[in-house]
Amino acid sequence: MSPEKARVFMVDDHALIRAGIKAELAGSVEFIGEADEVAAAIEMIIERSPDVVLLDVHMPDGGGLAVLEGVVERDASVKFLALSVSDAAEDVIAIIRAGARGYVTKSIEGPELIEAIERTAAGDAVFSRRLAGFVLDAFTKGADQLHTTPSMLDPELDQLTPREIEVLRLIARGYSYREIATQLDISIKTVESHVSAVLRKLQLSNRHQLTNWATERRLL
Amino acid sequence: MGALQGCQTLAITKNMNSTATATRRAYSRPERPLRRSTGDAILGGVCSGLARRLGVPTRTVRIIAVVTIFFAAVGPAIYLALWIMTIRRGESESIFDRTRSDKREKEIIFVVSIAVIALLIALRTLGLHVLGLFFWVLTLCVLEGLMVWRGSSGDERDHLRGLTTSPLVTSMTDTKGWRGVAIRTGVGIVVGVWGISLLSRVGNEQGAAAYVLIGAVALLLGVLVLFAPWWVSTVRDLTQERRARIRAQDRADMAAHVHDSVMQTLSLIQRAANDPGEVTRLARIQERDLRIWLANPESFGRPTTNPSTLAQAAFEIEREVEDNYGVGVDVVVVGDAQLDDNSSAVLAAGREATINAAKWSGATSISLYIEAEPDQLSMYVRDQGTGFNVDAVPRDRQGISRSIVERMERHGGTAVIRTSPESGTEVELRLPVSSNPS
Repeated sequence: MSPEKARVFMVDDHALIRAGIKAELAGSVEFIGEADEVAAAIEMIIERSPDVVLLDVHMPDGGGLAVLEGVVERDASVKFLALSVSDAAEDVIAIIRAGARGYVTKSIEGPELIEAIERTAAGDAVFSRRLAGFVLDAFTKGADQLHTTPSMLDPELDQLTPREIEVLRLIARGYSYREIATQLDISIKTVESHVSAVLRKLQLSNRHQLTNWATERRLL
Repeated sequence: MGALQGCQTLAITKNMNSTATATRRAYSRPERPLRRSTGDAILGGVCSGLARRLGVPTRTVRIIAVVTIFFAAVGPAIYLALWIMTIRRGESESIFDRTRSDKREKEIIFVVSIAVIALLIALRTLGLHVLGLFFWVLTLCVLEGLMVWRGSSGDERDHLRGLTTSPLVTSMTDTKGWRGVAIRTGVGIVVGVWGISLLSRVGNEQGAAAYVLIGAVALLLGVLVLFAPWWVSTVRDLTQERRARIRAQDRADMAAHVHDSVMQTLSLIQRAANDPGEVTRLARIQERDLRIWLANPESFGRPTTNPSTLAQAAFEIEREVEDNYGVGVDVVVVGDAQLDDNSSAVLAAGREATINAAKWSGATSISLYIEAEPDQLSMYVRDQGTGFNVDAVPRDRQGISRSIVERMERHGGTAVIRTSPESGTEVELRLPVSSNPS
């Protein structure tokens, strides 16, 4: 997207995974550092201010969530892309609500990951199929499942527009942003802005029970 | 000259003396107001608080307090009264204030005092007059103790809890230390013998029933003091053992699972190292397996042969296709519903579509998306493989026409197949759901 390569910082406690990802992304992004534990990661990220932090969710000492919270409270402009083997609902929801711009699973293919990193660097949101499914499930399946009365919900934040639902549904069906743009006859930029709007809603929504919801449905 | 020297020495000693008194005075200058101390407190910090207030050594106050125990227990009653009335250093209100401002606490104190007084009156009617003053003071002590127990602040409670593990107490309850054993045996025997002697007076004196009562209680107390530590330590050992056993059990379960699944898979992968397809398949199976186990260890190992919800049925398709065709299936389910005849038909058609994709498309993974809305059920099976020409499929090949399209139509739904060499194939299945499921 941008002519310059994205400056990426990687946080993962497995050296093997770090090596694998670096090998796969070599040449497409610029790695400016890596860390394998929470405290060191926070310090180094603040110091080097990368464009994108590739963040492993499951680590000792609080995991990716701890890194995210530690960095965001000192510098909210750092963009995180969570990368994890687990796509259990409660992990995904927690990390997104803490401020990550996207969530992809480690089974993602190299080119897709590069695209996701570039998209994150540009400030857009990156939704995996499953995350799109979670959001649809949480936002469209009525308030009763969330133990929230409809009046507690803010229509601006707690509801998705028909177009956003359409876009999310296509993501969940396995379409890329480009394919969605073609399918809906809109530009990729518009798709991106819809997804960013959904991300904002997901982060700011006062559906406090989002995490509860996620835990209840962890098998999905 | 000698005199001068002597004079000087005298001056020095005098000087030293005066500084000594100064420090001593600074140390023991009466301090106002009276506060219970927190630092050098044995129980409530009353003695050292009093000592500071009066400007006398703490030890003196403590000795007096202990001695007064033997004057009809007046000492402890006063001690407890001060404990309750005096504000603890660093706190804003006394235990008494706290109790007074809490309705529930007041009720508890009230009820207990009624009960104790009733007991006293009962004992008096049994003919026990000997213990008159002592008993009233004891009653006061019990009530005061209760207030301390209920009303002390969290900080103070921590301090009191710390007492139970102080060396003095542990040596008393320790089954090994000779001193603890000696003290305990002594106390136990004295109390027990006292009880027996009270019991033996039965029949000789007036108010015999009361002696029986007190004697029996004393005997019981003696036995308790003698044997409690052994009992406590036995219980503690039992709990520790149980905890260890549970931990060991957990470890064993974990080890068994890791061995059964991960280790087996790894050895299979080593054997199939030169067959990437097989390695991928094994890894995928293992990954799914572990994911399910992590999410829900209890239900693991019980295969869902009879799925009862959409999601379960979808994961069943995932399992089947991944195991048999070595193609990844990625399932996303939005909403969920119980399976009925119609939705089972959609799932069956979807399964057929997934297997077709696995067999023919050449894609490495298939996306399965199921959404249950109030008025319709939709399922999308998408691959990014080679696509195919719908019209070119011979009519006698029943997969698509009969298993997918016709099945959907039979249940009142629709099936749309979109396919092209560039973007792969997507099968869209839709089934309207009657708003009133019978």
